Amino acid sequence: MPKIITCFKWVIDQADIKSEPGSNRLILDRVDYKISDYDRNAIEEAVRLQEVYGGSVAALTIGTPAARKSLKDALARGPEQAYFVHDASFNDLEPAQTASLLARALDSQIDYDLIICGEGSGDLYAQQVGPRLAENLNLPCITQARKLTIQENQVIAERKVEEGIEVVAAPMPCLVTVLPEINTPRIPGLKDTLAASKKPVTEISLQDLGQYYEPCLKTIDLQATTMERKCEKFDPADGLNKLAQALVKAAAIS
Amino acid sequence: MAEDKFTAIVVGAGPAGSTAAYLLAREGLDVLLIEKGDTPGSKNMFGGRMYSYALNRIMPDFWEEAPLERPVAREIITLMDDEKSVSVTYRDENWLHPPYHSWVLLRADFDAWLASKAEEAGALLACNILVDDVVWDGDRIVGIQAGDDQLLADVVICADGANSLLTEKAGLRNRLLPHQVATGFKQVIELPPETINQRFQLNGSEGVAQLFAGSCTRGMQGGGFLYTNKNSISLGLVIKSSDLQHNQYYPAELLEDFKAHPTIAPLVADGREAEYSAHLVPEAGLEMAPRLFGSGILAAGDAAGLVINLGYLVRGMDLAIASGEAAARTVIQARTNNDFSAEGLSIYQQFLQETAVLTAMETYRQAPRFLDNRRLYEVYPALATGLLSRMFTVDETSPVHLMTKALNELKKNEMGLTRLIGDAWKGGRSL
Amino acid sequence: MAGVWILGENHEQTLELLNGGRKLADQLDTKLVALFRGVQELAPEYIDYGADEVLVLPPIAPEQPFSSYVPIIVEEARQEDPDIFLVAATTRGKEIAARIAARLNTGLGSECTGLILDPDSGKLHMKRMMFGGAAVQKVVCTTRPQMATIPLHTFEPTARLEGRTGQVRELAAPPASAVSIIERKPREKESSNITEARVLVCVGRGLQKEADLELARELAEALGGEIACTRPIAEELHWLPEESYIGLSGQHVKPDLYIGIGISGQIQHTVGIRDAKVICAVNRDEKAAIFQISDYGITGDLYEVIPRLTAELKKVLQK
Repeated sequence: MPKIITCFKWVIDQADIKSEPGSNRLILDRVDYKISDYDRNAIEEAVRLQEVYGGSVAALTIGTPAARKSLKDALARGPEQAYFVHDASFNDLEPAQTASLLARALDSQIDYDLIICGEGSGDLYAQQVGPRLAENLNLPCITQARKLTIQENQVIAERKVEEGIEVVAAPMPCLVTVLPEINTPRIPGLKDTLAASKKPVTEISLQDLGQYYEPCLKTIDLQATTMERKCEKFDPADGLNKLAQALVKAAAIS
Repeated sequence: MAEDKFTAIVVGAGPAGSTAAYLLAREGLDVLLIEKGDTPGSKNMFGGRMYSYALNRIMPDFWEEAPLERPVAREIITLMDDEKSVSVTYRDENWLHPPYHSWVLLRADFDAWLASKAEEAGALLACNILVDDVVWDGDRIVGIQAGDDQLLADVVICADGANSLLTEKAGLRNRLLPHQVATGFKQVIELPPETINQRFQLNGSEGVAQLFAGSCTRGMQGGGFLYTNKNSISLGLVIKSSDLQHNQYYPAELLEDFKAHPTIAPLVADGREAEYSAHLVPEAGLEMAPRLFGSGILAAGDAAGLVINLGYLVRGMDLAIASGEAAARTVIQARTNNDFSAEGLSIYQQFLQETAVLTAMETYRQAPRFLDNRRLYEVYPALATGLLSRMFTVDETSPVHLMTKALNELKKNEMGLTRLIGDAWKGGRSL
Repeated sequence: MAGVWILGENHEQTLELLNGGRKLADQLDTKLVALFRGVQELAPEYIDYGADEVLVLPPIAPEQPFSSYVPIIVEEARQEDPDIFLVAATTRGKEIAARIAARLNTGLGSECTGLILDPDSGKLHMKRMMFGGAAVQKVVCTTRPQMATIPLHTFEPTARLEGRTGQVRELAAPPASAVSIIERKPREKESSNITEARVLVCVGRGLQKEADLELARELAEALGGEIACTRPIAEELHWLPEESYIGLSGQHVKPDLYIGIGISGQIQHTVGIRDAKVICAVNRDEKAAIFQISDYGITGDLYEVIPRLTAELKKVLQK
C-alpha cells in the first residue's frame, strides 16, 4: 500500500500573459494563477494508482502564502491531504531551491514510498525539480513516464526516449515524472470541491525547515517573444487564387 | 449524506450572491456559495460603477479595505451625432468624502474581495462548478444539481446573473426574450493615471462617470458609458439585444466606431487595449416580472431583473447588494419560523421594500416603456447638437433669433412641438 | 583546474556540442573535454573534432540506464572543477544534467538556445524559453560549473581538423543503478522527417475526424510537402506519429512554408514554427491567435477552403 506524494506548482496562467505592443515588455500585473497543467497529470496519476493499488495520496506544494489558493483545487482532485511549504520569500524560486526545500520538507516531516511530479512546470518548464529532488533525497529516478504500474515493491514505467520506449523498473521509494499523455485529469465535481475544504492541510514554514537555499541561477532578463508577421487576410469567397499566388511567390515554391 | 445539507445554497458569487452568503455566514448558518468561474469575478474585466449606500449599510466604511478604483466626483451626460456633441457636467465635492456617493471599480477585483469576505465569515465557496438544475420535492425546491452531484438546502438563492438558468428552471420566470435584455460590450483601455487625470481634469484619485446617447448606438435603444479606473478607462456600449439582432451590427465594430468618434478618440488615444468582453443586462425592469421567490427559493440581483437603466443613470450593483441583504434577512427570518415555503419566504418582498430595492424598481416601472422610443436615440441627440451648433456657429448668413433656431431644428428633424412636449411629459412621469 | 565539458548521447550530438564548446573554451582559454560513451577506439576521433581531452564512459550492462554514469561524472567534476558543462537536451540528458547539478550544488540552464560568454564576468548568459514560449528568459549561473542543457541542432556539427593532439582517458566503472531497463521498444520507422521538409501542412483540433487528414495530405502533396500536427493530434488522438507534432516539447521546424489548418495558435505550438519563412493559417475563428502570427490568413471553414486552395495552388504551379 504505497504512500504516494504528488508535487504541484501554482503558476501564472499563460493565457493571461500579454506583452506591451511595440515593445517586448511582459505584462504580468493582471494574471490569474492555476495548478500547472503538467502537475494535474501528476495528481491524477497518483490518485489513479491509489484507486488500483490502495495506499494514500498527499499533495505537496511550495510557494508564497498566496499559493494557499491552490490547495482546495489540488485536494478536490483526489489527494486526501496536502502539505503546504510557504514563505513570503518563496517568490520566483529557481529549480535548485525548489528541489532543496521540498527535499528538506519531505525528509523532515513526510512519509513516502513514491513521489510523482509533472514532467516540467507550466512557467519555467526547466524539467529539473523532479530529478533534482530524487538526487537530493537519494532516490531512484524515472523521468518522462507515459505509463506507470506497481508490482510488489517496484514501480514499472514506460519512459519515452528519443529512439522509442524504455520500460524501466525501480524499487520504492522512488520518484517518477510523468508526461501529459499518461492520463486525462478528472474535472472535480461539487462534492469533490466540498470534500476538499474539509481535508487536512499541514503547513510547513521556513522556520520549520531551518535552512534557506541561495539561488544558483539568476534571471538577468525576461522579455516577451515576438513574431513579426504580415498578418494579411484573404477572403475565402474570392481570395483563394490570390492567396495561392502569394504563397508560391513568398515561399519560392516551384 | 445528511452532513451535506445546508441552510442556504447561493448560486453565483457576484455582488448579490456574495452579500447574501456573507450575511448568512455571519449569523453562523451553513451556507454554500457556488461560482461557475475559476474564481469569483474571474475574467470579468468590467469596470463597474457602484453606488455606496447599499454596501455601507452592511459593511460600514467598506472603502477602507475593498479594492476600489476611484470615487466618482463628476457625472457627464453627452448627446452626440457623428460630428457634434453636447455635454452636461455635474460635479459634487461631497461625493469625495465618506460615505462616498459612488465608486468606479474593477469587477474582477471587487467580486473576488466580496466573496473572500463571505468565505472569511464562514461560507463555503466552490468555484468552477456549473449548477444545472434545482432539485424538487413535490412543489418545493430542496436543493441543486451540479453534474452528478446533488446537494440539499432549506433554501436556494439564485444570484446567477442576467441569464439566470436557475430562475428559469425554478419556474420563477420564462426564458428571457431579446427585447427584455440588453447586450453590454466593453473594453478596458490602459493609460497612465496622470494621463487620465489630465484628460478628464481630475484631481488625485477622483473619477468620472460619463454616459452617452446618440449616434454611438446608430439609432438603436441604448447608450455608451465611460468610467475612469485608476490606470485604465472602461469604455462600452449597452444596446437592446433585439435591436442588435434586428440590425445585424457586430458589437465589436460599433465599439470601434464609438472609440473613433471625435469626442472619444482623444480621451483614449495611445491607450493599450486590454480585454474586450460582453455581458447581458436585464432591461425590462419589473415588467418582465420574474417572481422573486417561490417555495424554497429566492432570486436576487440581475437574476431577479433588479437593474434600473434610465439612460442617465444605471443601477445594478447597489440593487444586487441590497437584494442580497434582503435575501439573507429573509432566510434568517424563515429559519426562525422554520418555514421555507413560498409563504414563509414572502417576507422577502417586505425586506426588498425596506432595503429600497422595490421602491426604486416601482418608481421607475414605466421607464423601460418610455425608453423604448426611437426618438430618444436618433432625434433628440441630433436636435440638441443641431441647436447648439446653430447657437455657436457664426458665418456670413444673417443671424436668427434663438427661438426660431429651435423651431427650425425641430422642423429639420421632422419633429412637431406637440410630440416634443408629449415625450417630455412621459419622460417626466416615468423618470 | 578548469575546462569546458560536453556530454552528448551519440555521435551527432557530440559533434554539435563540440562546436559550441570549442568556441567557449577558446574564449576562456581553457581545454575542451568531451565525455564520450562508446567504443574506446573511436574516442581519439573527437580529438580531431576539437576536443582537447576525451573522458570515456566505460561500458555498462545492457539493463543499466544511461543515468548510471551520474556518480562517476560527479566524482570527476569534483576533481576537475570545470568552468562550464554542456549536456545534450535529450530525455536522458536532461535527467542526468539535473541530477549532476543537484549533486554539485550548481545551477542548470534548461534547454538553452543561446549561449553568450560575458567577457567581463566570464559568466555564461544563457537564453531559454519560459511561459510555454511566450517569454524569453536570460539566466546566469552563479555557481560552478555553469551547467546548461542544449537542444539538438542548436549548434552546427563541428568540422574535422587534422593533426590535433589530446588525451584520452577512461573513467572507472560506475556502481550499479537501482533503476534497471526491462525492455526497449524502438520507435516505428519515421515515415517522414518534418524538420527537413520545405513545406509543412500542419493540422490541429479544428479537424473533426482522422479521415479528414486526407484534405491536408492532398494539399501537402500539391506543394511537395509533408504533414505535421499539434500535440493533441499525436498524443491524445494518435492520428499521426509522435514525431509529427510541432511545439515546445515536440519538433521545432523551419520550413519555407507552413500552412496551419484548424490550429488555434497556442503558444506551446507556435513556438515550434517561429523559424518558418512564411506562415499561412486557415481557421474558422477570426479571433484565433494563429492569425496574429501568420503572414497570410483565411477565416473560413477548412472543409470548404482547403480543397479549393489545393486546386488553386495546383493551377498556379501548373500541376
